[in-house]
Amino acid sequence: MVNPVLLIAVPLGLAFTVPLIGSASRKLTRFVPVIASLFNLILCIRLFPAVLEHPIVINLGGFAPPFGINLFVGHLGLLFAGLISLAGLIVSIYSLSYIKTGMVVKYHMLYMLLLTGATGVVLTGDIFNLFVFFEILCISSYALVAYVGDRAGIESSIKYLIQGTVGSSLLLIGIGFLYGLFGTLNMADIAQKISTVEQGSLLVPLLLIVAGLGVEAAVFPLNAWLPDAHSSAPSSISAILSGIAIEVGLYAIARIVFTVFGISDVYLFLAFLGILTLLIGELCAFAQSNIKRMLAYSSIGQIGLILFALALASNNSVTGGLFQLINHTLSKGLLFLSAGYMIYRSGSMEISSLNGMGKRMPLTSLAFTVGAFSLIGLPPFAGFPGKFLIVSGALLQGQLVINILVGLVLLSTVIEGTYFFKVVQGLYFRKADADITPERAPAAALVAMLILMLLIVVLGVYPEPVAGFLNTAASDLLDKVSYVGSVLR
Amino acid sequence: MTGIEILLLTAFGGVLFTCFTGRISSSLRNIAAVILSIVLVVLVALLYDKNGETVFYRGFFGIPMVLRINTLSWFFAIAISTLGCLSVIFSLGYMRDRKNTSFYYSMLLLVNSAMLGVVFSGDMFSFFIFWEIMSWSTFLLISYNRGPAVGAGLKYIIMSIIGSMAMLAGIISLYTVYGTLNIADLSHLVLSSSTPGHQIFLLIIFGFAFGIKNAVVPLHTWLPDVYTEAPSPFSAVIAGMLTRMGVYGFLLIIYVILGAARSLHTGTIPGFNHILAWLGAITIVIPTFIAMLQNDAKRLLAWSGIGQGGYMILGIAFGTNLGVAGGIFHTLNHAIYIVLLFMSVAAVQYRTGGVRDLNSLGGLIKKMPVAFFGALIGICGLIGVPLTNGFVSKWMIFKTLITGGAPFLAFAALIGSWGTILAAYKLLHNMFLGQLPERFSNTRQSPFSMKLPMIVLSFTILLFGILPGLPLKVINNIVVSFGFGSLDVSLWGIVSETGMLNTINLFAVILAGLAVVWLFFRIGARAVPVNQSDNYAAGAAVPGDRYNYTVKFYDPLTRTISPYLRDIIDSLYQKIAVFTGCVCNGIRKIYTGYIGNYIMYIVLFVSLIIIVQMVWSPW
Repeated sequence: MVNPVLLIAVPLGLAFTVPLIGSASRKLTRFVPVIASLFNLILCIRLFPAVLEHPIVINLGGFAPPFGINLFVGHLGLLFAGLISLAGLIVSIYSLSYIKTGMVVKYHMLYMLLLTGATGVVLTGDIFNLFVFFEILCISSYALVAYVGDRAGIESSIKYLIQGTVGSSLLLIGIGFLYGLFGTLNMADIAQKISTVEQGSLLVPLLLIVAGLGVEAAVFPLNAWLPDAHSSAPSSISAILSGIAIEVGLYAIARIVFTVFGISDVYLFLAFLGILTLLIGELCAFAQSNIKRMLAYSSIGQIGLILFALALASNNSVTGGLFQLINHTLSKGLLFLSAGYMIYRSGSMEISSLNGMGKRMPLTSLAFTVGAFSLIGLPPFAGFPGKFLIVSGALLQGQLVINILVGLVLLSTVIEGTYFFKVVQGLYFRKADADITPERAPAAALVAMLILMLLIVVLGVYPEPVAGFLNTAASDLLDKVSYVGSVLR
Repeated sequence: MTGIEILLLTAFGGVLFTCFTGRISSSLRNIAAVILSIVLVVLVALLYDKNGETVFYRGFFGIPMVLRINTLSWFFAIAISTLGCLSVIFSLGYMRDRKNTSFYYSMLLLVNSAMLGVVFSGDMFSFFIFWEIMSWSTFLLISYNRGPAVGAGLKYIIMSIIGSMAMLAGIISLYTVYGTLNIADLSHLVLSSSTPGHQIFLLIIFGFAFGIKNAVVPLHTWLPDVYTEAPSPFSAVIAGMLTRMGVYGFLLIIYVILGAARSLHTGTIPGFNHILAWLGAITIVIPTFIAMLQNDAKRLLAWSGIGQGGYMILGIAFGTNLGVAGGIFHTLNHAIYIVLLFMSVAAVQYRTGGVRDLNSLGGLIKKMPVAFFGALIGICGLIGVPLTNGFVSKWMIFKTLITGGAPFLAFAALIGSWGTILAAYKLLHNMFLGQLPERFSNTRQSPFSMKLPMIVLSFTILLFGILPGLPLKVINNIVVSFGFGSLDVSLWGIVSETGMLNTINLFAVILAGLAVVWLFFRIGARAVPVNQSDNYAAGAAVPGDRYNYTVKFYDPLTRTISPYLRDIIDSLYQKIAVFTGCVCNGIRKIYTGYIGNYIMYIVLFVSLIIIVQMVWSPW
């Protein structure tokens, strides 16, 4: 059996070889992320059968928990690791042609560090290790947002940096509190000892940790960095940020809240927070005239929806939330990737400049349409099973408050539909402002978008195998006892 | 019952096939589209009188997705496939000089396939999936004409999504309460074990969704823009069958799932039906008069269509076997003659270079005789002239309202006829009668591909009018399957408590009358053929191009009524949309752009929760 540590070690090692390769030839560096994420993806697929039977626990350095750092590769962790490597692979294929000018070498190095950090967050079983990988993820993304180098990019990057640092400080203080309370940093150990302390004293560490992680996960009052960062970053980075980084933040929140703390009083509050994030995200997206800003607010909305689904803490709704999470990675990635080249060809990020793109860039526009329809939740695309599972999981609980919240979810779907349909109509049915000769996107980008489209359609028509796996992943998240048992054997 | 699976596979596969052949050659694609539509009609016809269910897919979370055929599905399916086929044939001529026709044909076939999927679904889950596919493909095809069609399409899809989300809530509510989404199982379970509260909830929420689709007042505001701006052969399909998917939905929820006819639901369903009948009555009265005020041919047909939809809802909601049968029959009849009328308007549009403004057309009767004949028969059907199918279905609805003791509803239905007569005659006169304007003197006849569907549909109108037993036997089976008593139908008539409708007698009488007229004609002086522009003007010269009465056609009536007939509901919805836009614009200002504010939000979030915990300790 292959060692899952390679999932983190290989991208990390290859990241540091990028400057070496870069000093020899700049052009070759763009293949390194492709190799690294392809390796990760194949490794995840190889690990899949083993993890299905029993979660793999690796003790780093040979020190047994609760003294050493351990990796916990369960269903949920493997799902996320696979998703991260898949998205990383597709976006790195896209970047083969998209990233040409500027500090290309540093871009690829930071990109791989971002993927390393993300994979580390989802696989670790130690809370301070989580913080370390989380910081790697965040700092790489701060730098990558500023990649383009224009004024907007640098401004949003610094705003993101400041807010992210505040968040990380809160996170660190919260972890410090936990360490002070329990004397251990191992997540399973803390989970075991949680009930020994009086519940009131747990609120401050929980709040600080959730707020700290929430800055990256883009929940409502903490997500002000997101619209600026996602719209000023290059489109491949926007795709990775929307598709991976904020979802990894949400995973971290879910892991802490459900597995480590497991205090069910806060779940309803998180559900409300999720709905608030959803509504504000969708309503703000409706008012935008800049396409990337609109997609960024839409990401905020979707994260709110996934947080709502996870916070309901039933197997069905968590499965729906995870399905919607996969759908968001694929669809939002597709939307940002296609918007990237459309913006590049038309020269402006305004939605009105996308009019008439259906003729000039047919495959790219089709990709945008598929991504938009999937995100709204129309059959036969991947968004429909996700939304259906979330709504049915929520309504199955049968409480009046939850039913009202579900009504708000359906209302936000209508609003989401409105602004996406307007853009899709503009692509195909409105006349372009200026007459530019038709020019398709380059082959690498088209390949990336085509893979995403196929995945979305296949997932939409055959959700059953994935949903079955997600069901076990959901119990991985919710079932605290078996988590503790697996780690602290 | 793999017949249905073959049918749907052919339908959806045909869409892809058409798309690909379009890349090779457009004439090849046209032939492929026509052959595919004809094959679908044949396949549906082969399924006549079969009953059964088949599970076609288990891949969705273990919910078995079922296809089902019974008389109700077959009835709607044959109408969908036949009218779709005729529209495709009509499009051959109409879309000849347009661009992107591959997209048009594929979407047209996709809409048809999705509609077939909707009526053949045996469980609410596949119903919802096909319903959604139908909605977004319609949206894409409406926007095909660009310009104002883009706004119309957006209005349509937003209202459709609102309805779909309501339907989704209703479907999942059914799933959580009964554990199954299979329509046949639900019809047993809901009957035996439902609470009145849940019944009302289901009726309202599904009624909302299907009311939007069927354009029941006050949910009708998307319809006029959509019918006017969509490409005309597709307007025909929308008007004919797509809107009537709402009627199918109403039948499904009221009579199949909730079983209104099979048991005595005291209070809930009769109460809902009562309100629905009144909504139907309002839908008849107001839109048919608004139709009369319109100057755009397609918009006139659109408002007429809303009005006729009211008849269907009124018949179905009234709840007697004659009423439901009348409502279902009216759905079929309306589909036939509204498609015919849209085709006639489209033919005129095609040959005059896109003119559909009634104020500027006129006198085309000699130039386009087949279009005139089609419009004439269509209008007779719309009004309900005896010997047309519209007469029979309206007779059934009037009969049941009168004998059922609902004088006001019957009066509303009657007023609707007045409005329809006025609007329909305006359409016919302004397009075909009167003086021929100079610039249309070179108009040619419609091409054969346009004439054929119009002739077929005119023939069908007369056939179903003289021999109504042909469709009525099928409808009787549907009504019996709902649990009503059987109607006494024969090939040429239908019996009711207060008398019988015998169309063969009517036919014989009218033929006899026509024979007498012809006899007088032969005996009398020989007729002299005169030029169309040779009119009597008391000796003065007849001015060319100025003797055509079209503008302000019903001026006195228009001046009296039009202040009361503005579409207030549409302006209400527009105001709501603008208000939402303002709210969104206000909310986005939370993100002020100033980094200090953002840090403040983070700190406030943390401190607020700590304060809340310290003061109230909810956790």
